[in-house]
Amino acid sequence: MNKIILRIFIYAILIAITLVMIQPFFFMVLMSTYRTQQLGDVLTLRPGGHLMENLKTVLASGFMSYYWNSIKAAVVFTVLSVFLCALAGYGFAKFQFKGKKALYTFVLGSMMIPAQLGLIGYVVQMRRMHLIGTLWPIILGDIASCFGVFWMTQYITSSVPKPIMEAARMDGCSEFRLFFQIVMPIIRPALATLGILQFVFSWNYYLRPMMTISNPDLYTIPLGIASLSTRYQTNYAAQITALALGTIPTIIIFILGARTFISSLTSGAVKG
Amino acid sequence: MEKPSALSKIKKASSLEKANRAGLFFVLPFLIIFAIFNLYPVLHSLRLSFYSWDGISPMKPVGFANYVRLVTADPYFFKSIGNTLYLLILYLPLTVLLALLLASLLNNKIVPKKHFFQTAWFLPYIVAPVSIGLLFRVLFDWSTGAVNGILVKIGLLHEGLNWLGDPKLTPLVLAILLIWSDLGYVTTLFLAGMTNISSEILEAAEVDGANYLQTLFKIIVPLLKPVIVFVTITGTIACLQLYDAANILVNPGMMAGTVGGPGRSVLTGIWYMVDTSRGGSTGRPEMGYAAAITYGLFFVTALFSILNFKLISSKEENYE
Repeated sequence: MNKIILRIFIYAILIAITLVMIQPFFFMVLMSTYRTQQLGDVLTLRPGGHLMENLKTVLASGFMSYYWNSIKAAVVFTVLSVFLCALAGYGFAKFQFKGKKALYTFVLGSMMIPAQLGLIGYVVQMRRMHLIGTLWPIILGDIASCFGVFWMTQYITSSVPKPIMEAARMDGCSEFRLFFQIVMPIIRPALATLGILQFVFSWNYYLRPMMTISNPDLYTIPLGIASLSTRYQTNYAAQITALALGTIPTIIIFILGARTFISSLTSGAVKG
Repeated sequence: MEKPSALSKIKKASSLEKANRAGLFFVLPFLIIFAIFNLYPVLHSLRLSFYSWDGISPMKPVGFANYVRLVTADPYFFKSIGNTLYLLILYLPLTVLLALLLASLLNNKIVPKKHFFQTAWFLPYIVAPVSIGLLFRVLFDWSTGAVNGILVKIGLLHEGLNWLGDPKLTPLVLAILLIWSDLGYVTTLFLAGMTNISSEILEAAEVDGANYLQTLFKIIVPLLKPVIVFVTITGTIACLQLYDAANILVNPGMMAGTVGGPGRSVLTGIWYMVDTSRGGSTGRPEMGYAAAITYGLFFVTALFSILNFKLISSKEENYE
């Protein structure tokens, strides 16, 4: 009997906390169905009838191109970054070459340096390379992830058996074929984890894109959301609708792969 | 087993050497990209910090003048650090405490649907800080915001507070935002740590008559120390590098507006750097001075990391 009461009590607390945690998102969705003048009515918890109107306003202003830019930047960034880190991690984990120790220590030390330290220099560099009018500034500055190399080195050291590599070499397998056909399939879980981390990072990234992208045609979703208030100055309903449009896909994808996402996003902490 | 002949030994050694040289080629692409797009900008920023430059006209070397100005004649730099520390005090202890309680609520056999709650609580962490900033701006709006609506309705307030227009209240809103967005993440970290604690220890505590809070704070918390240390250090660094959410919360849009919010109460170091590089306070972009601000901020961050570390390791000695 006591146990049932305890269980009900704990569940009540957990559900209350859950409601508080998701309330802001719930209000966001509700408010996207209102007119600006009605926004105060959100406490009635009843949806309004202006969703279509708001959607039309937002879509007419080219919000869809933000999605496309975000997807392009995030996919290219994730692929390049994971590939570079896997290559380097493999090199550090399975080979002995001159200066390896010093280089690896350098990579680990660089993990402590925040990206913002080079931001001003990076902006100047992108201008000089004439990349300001492209999506490349969003991509190039973070693909060489020292954390990614550390993560890959750790994983490959413990998961790729040396005998398999030696057997392949005996059979005359070249070093690059060995990496692509034998090592890559073995380390697939680590590639996926790092891929998710990098994709989420790129998808949500604001500071570097904001400093290097000035053409609204190249805005990613965070830039688009940040610029909403200058676009729809007094149309708060449209702002909130655009916010919902930019946020809901993330939420859906997260819920679909929650287990993988959560373990990926916390893996750095557990390992490091 | 047959002993390998001298010849095959040499053959094996040379092929191993060849393979080892290949290692460098695997590492090289990363190192080249890192040198061009990470190392170079960091060094170039350092160089720029010794110049006065608006980004267009010729650069003028000024020696240490930027750093002297940063330390002796710039109230906003220290204000931004002070803001960050205030925010840290509002946000970090409460987050750790709440996450400990939540994780301990989930860490028992009575709750079988752990995963559902964990997912729901984790959600804010994965949403872009920019979105969260705008969402809180809407919710804490003075006239139409839901927060004022609720507080007035249940009679806690006579009329709505101007949350984002008052330098005393704005940091509170920002702290609530940060707690809300990080709580699920920190809870997950703690829960992972708690599941590693052997049930024998907890059963022994139960046999000895320890109650829930005693078990939590006397047994679980000390065992979770590495995770708590991690959260403290990364939380401090994240606060010192805060920008997105703070910026959008009080000043959405990328146009120059009220920099740092009311009374610059939520001006962060990065925000100040961004604003300076765009000519915020003087109307003239100051790339050199902005670079000096990033180095100043980096110095402060490193100082706090070391301090955190020292504090924690000295505590460790007391335990033993």
